[in-house]
Amino acid sequence: MVLLAGGQARAFEIVFERHGGAAFSLAYTISGRRGVAEDVVLEAFLSLWCTGARYDRARGSVRSWLLTVVHNRAIDALRSGAVHEGRHVRDEGCFERMEAPGGTEVEVARREGAREVRDALDELPTGQRNVIELAYFGGCTHTEIAAMLSLPVGTVKGRMRLGLTRLRIAFGDPADAIA
Amino acid sequence: MNDLDAMFDPRDCGADAGAYVLGALESDEAEAFRGHMAECVVCSDEVATLQAVTGALPMAAPQRRPATALKRRALSRALGEGESAADIPDRHRLRISLPVLTRSIPSAARGAVAAGGFLAAVALTVGAVQLSKGSASPMRIVPAVVINEGQSASAVLQIGSGQAQLVVSHMPAPPTGTIYEVWLERPGKPPQPTSSLFSVTSSGAGDVDVPGTLTGVSEVRVTPEPLGGSLAPTHSPVIVVALTS
Repeated sequence: MVLLAGGQARAFEIVFERHGGAAFSLAYTISGRRGVAEDVVLEAFLSLWCTGARYDRARGSVRSWLLTVVHNRAIDALRSGAVHEGRHVRDEGCFERMEAPGGTEVEVARREGAREVRDALDELPTGQRNVIELAYFGGCTHTEIAAMLSLPVGTVKGRMRLGLTRLRIAFGDPADAIA
Repeated sequence: MNDLDAMFDPRDCGADAGAYVLGALESDEAEAFRGHMAECVVCSDEVATLQAVTGALPMAAPQRRPATALKRRALSRALGEGESAADIPDRHRLRISLPVLTRSIPSAARGAVAAGGFLAAVALTVGAVQLSKGSASPMRIVPAVVINEGQSASAVLQIGSGQAQLVVSHMPAPPTGTIYEVWLERPGKPPQPTSSLFSVTSSGAGDVDVPGTLTGVSEVRVTPEPLGGSLAPTHSPVIVVALTS
C-alpha cells in the first residue's frame, strides 16, 4: 500500500491481480450484469488508487476495504436502476466461471475460506439464508423483503439477526475468511 | 438514560442489529439506530460482532474471472493514460491495422443520420477481413460505421470462435444520464437488446463483449440509452456494424 500510495503502477497491478477476481465476482453477483460489474470494479480500484495514501491498515485489510466499496457501489447501482429492470437475463456464458487452479498458499487458503463461507450460508435454515441473501446481494430493505415473502417485518429482522449469529458461530473468526 | 441503563437496555433493542449490518434498514431507521448505538453498548457490541460476519459474505459470491482487459483498463485509467493502441491486445493490434478502407455508408447508418440529426457522420466502412495467426482460429475484424460529432472515433467488431467483442477508440462519452447499449439487428425483426452496456474512458476507449450468437444478424448497433438500458432503442445508433454472411 505504501507503493500504491506512491503511485506505482506495478503495485496497482499486483493489488488488482490479488483482489480483482473477488471484487468482480461480488459486483457481478449483485448486479447480474457484466458491464455494470466492470464499471463498479473500475471505480472501486480507482478509488483505492486515489485514496491509497489515506488507507488505514488498522481499519482492516485492503481486500476487506475494497470489497466493502464494491458492495456499496454495486448496491447503489442496483437501486439507482443502472441494471436493466425486468430483464432477468444474466450474462451467463459471456465469461467463464473462475477455475480453481493451483496457486500460492495464500490463494489456496482464500479459496478454502470462501468455500467455508458458502457452506455455512448453505447450511442456514432456508428462511434465514433467503433474507440475508436478499439483503446483502439483492440490496433489498427489510420492508421490501417482508412484502416479497409475505412475512411480518419483525420476522424478517429476526431471521437476519439469527442467521448472522449462526454464521458468526460457524465462521469462528470471520476475519480469517477474508484477510 | 444513565450509564447502567445504557449498558443494559431492558428493551430488545438489538432486534435491528442484523438488518442494520446488512444495510437493510430504511434510511431513517438506520439513522435512528446509529443514534441509539451511541448510547447502547449492547447494540454497538452486537453490531461490531455481526459486521465481522458481513465482512466475510463477499466470499459467498460464486467466483468468476473478470475479462482480461479489465485490469488493463483499470491501470490505464489510474495512470490517466489513453487506451487506444496501447490497450488493444497484441493479438488484435496487428490485425486492426490491415483493413483497406472504402467509403460507403450502409443504408441503416444513412437513415440514422437523417432521422437522428447527428451533425456529422464519420463513415468508414471496410470489408470484413479474415485474419489468422499461425494455426489459430481465424479472427474476423469488421470495422464499424461510427456516427458522431467527432472525427477520430472508430470501432471494430472482433469476431472469434464463439465470441465477439466490440472495441471502440476515441468515442465521446455517452450523454449524461445514458449508457451505450449494444443491439442485434435481424432482417424483418425488431432490434434485439443485449446485456452489453458500456461507457468509455476519458480517452474514449472501451470494449464490450457482444453476447449471444451472431447467426442471422445483419447489423450490430450501439445506441445511447438510459442508465438501466432499454428493451427497445430510444435513440438513433451511434455505431453500426454491418455483417455479411
